[in-house]
Amino acid sequence: MLKSKKLIQPGTHYLQGAEACAEGAMLAGCRVYAGYPITPATEIMEHFANRLPALGGRTIQMEDEIASASVLLGASWAGAKAMTATSSPGFSLMQEVISFSIMTETPMVVVDVQRPGPGQGYITTSQEDVMQARWGHHGEGSIIALAPASVQDMFDFTIRAFNLSERWRTPVLVMAEETVAHMRERLVIPPLEAIEIVDRRQPQDAGILPRDYLPYGHGQVPPMAIWGQGYDINHVSLVHHEDGRVSGYNAQTHFNNVDRIRRKIEDNVAAIADVEARYIEGCRHLVICYGSVSRTAVEAVLEARRIHGVAIGFIRLRTLWPFPEAKLRDLVPGVETIFVPEMNLGMMKHPITEALRDRCRKVVAIPSLGCLHTPDQILARIREEIQ
Amino acid sequence: MTDTAHPMLKYLKTTGPSGPRLPFIMCPGCGAGQVLNYTLHAVDQLLAEGELQKKDVVFISGVGCSSRLTSHYLQFDSGWTIHGRSLAIATGALLANPNLKIIVFTGDGDAAAIGGNHFIHACRRNLNVTIICINNGLYGMTGGQVAPTTAAGAATTTTPHGNVEDPFDLCRLAETAGAAYVARWSTAHPRQSVKAVVKGIRKNGAAFIEILSQCPVHKKTDPVEMFKELRQITARSTDAAAMASGKIPVGEFCDIDKPDWISRYQRIIDQLRRQEDHSCTV
Repeated sequence: MLKSKKLIQPGTHYLQGAEACAEGAMLAGCRVYAGYPITPATEIMEHFANRLPALGGRTIQMEDEIASASVLLGASWAGAKAMTATSSPGFSLMQEVISFSIMTETPMVVVDVQRPGPGQGYITTSQEDVMQARWGHHGEGSIIALAPASVQDMFDFTIRAFNLSERWRTPVLVMAEETVAHMRERLVIPPLEAIEIVDRRQPQDAGILPRDYLPYGHGQVPPMAIWGQGYDINHVSLVHHEDGRVSGYNAQTHFNNVDRIRRKIEDNVAAIADVEARYIEGCRHLVICYGSVSRTAVEAVLEARRIHGVAIGFIRLRTLWPFPEAKLRDLVPGVETIFVPEMNLGMMKHPITEALRDRCRKVVAIPSLGCLHTPDQILARIREEIQ
Repeated sequence: MTDTAHPMLKYLKTTGPSGPRLPFIMCPGCGAGQVLNYTLHAVDQLLAEGELQKKDVVFISGVGCSSRLTSHYLQFDSGWTIHGRSLAIATGALLANPNLKIIVFTGDGDAAAIGGNHFIHACRRNLNVTIICINNGLYGMTGGQVAPTTAAGAATTTTPHGNVEDPFDLCRLAETAGAAYVARWSTAHPRQSVKAVVKGIRKNGAAFIEILSQCPVHKKTDPVEMFKELRQITARSTDAAAMASGKIPVGEFCDIDKPDWISRYQRIIDQLRRQEDHSCTV
């Protein structure tokens, strides 16, 4: 385990996904971690508890997941980059704070190391929270959710999650799975100067004085004043005017408030959403997947192409939300069958179908619960369908 | 501001670019405004004495009548947050910046029901925060429902046939959980309340100050009568005869010095950094 007070160094490492996630967060500038133990996410908090104090940061084990997520609000307002990690039952409890974070435009990172549900479900692997990520919080507002597939992704995507969170003043979710959190494999860290780190824009950066500062104004993503710097900022989640006033309610103010918060994400999908495509040229069929399933799905695609001569392409959603509809439509001019292997009973299949309904004849879910598909399982389903 | 303006108005955002923020949302006769007044007097005193810097003072609250004090009125940094979660949010703020002087406004429902667990653990951690709980014995914002502090037998909108539960003693709860300073007063004890808030802010640890308050609207009683009653039903906890007669104890219940969460954690940070410096030189 890395014990240096220094940040993880460039070079080749052999790490667990959970450790890579924590190291990426610390490199991105995370200095407050709050969590509550839950299998299979606990290793992330243990790594923070060991490493963060030497960096001058603080790790706290709170009384539950609601409190853990709440800590991020206060920490973020007081100027820190902060994160928590949990697993699916805890993720349910954090939805209250996620909703509040959207409305108050508070940067924070929540890592969900998904396990199967409903209920206690099981403690193995899962992708059953991908819809909860988007729709679990009450009320309107968009969300950013990333889907890592490797130890390298756990590092890279966690850094990107902080960058997106700071850039767009919004909660960002890393939808990990037990598979990627517990796997150990190679992690390559480039020279530190090659890693982009984004910090939130503050009113001082824009030359805005306290007397002129509008906490929810000055553009689509308002600059964020930090507590303790004399800006007298009042954070409120009731529908508010640009100056933070909550009286004088009217429907137009309400619409402007919430519509801006949604549009700052949805108008910028091209900058936020990220997909990876292979073998698209001339393909007649397509696999669309995300997370660790993409590791076995790509094997199935390769075997289908090489051994069985099937013209099948591969797309991996690196970002689940905002849903990359325009990017998918640009990539897919028209195919016969789209296969969607997921570690659930068919969730992302729905937005995929909605985006590509006129670009394919059929969308076929390949479900799995509690364990990763083997390449053979995916291949068998493909061959069964297209023979 | 005229000569007759309230001396604490200087700490309020009375208006702004989008329009006026006053009048207060509080009902006529409500005690929450009095508690805000006492608290601002305490802050004003500490600012005048140079013990506090205004930019470091942060008010945090959850949801409910008492929490509404931080909504958009205060000319300070503040957060009007989630029902029951204000102390967890205060925890995060201190972890990020231990120099902040955090004052939490909460109510009996916010602190003792939905936020009960966070309240217990903030006291146990001896978190350096001043918790001011405005206890009116019911849920005011939602229309007068039963609270964990409502007297047994009381009729409320959700206990129309009488409350079958006994109330919490929040001060005993705070003391048992580990708060460093615990006191109870009422809106009818203005000078004592101001003094308690001053001591609470000075305390390096969790300070819990319960202020019993009147809700004339939901109790359908004249506010002046309720205000007088608060003096009649309370007595100093040191007054044995009054305590034997069943009066509600007021006064200071706990005032001790012990390390808070941040200072204990800081020792770990310092120790690890010394070890690291040493290991780098060999």
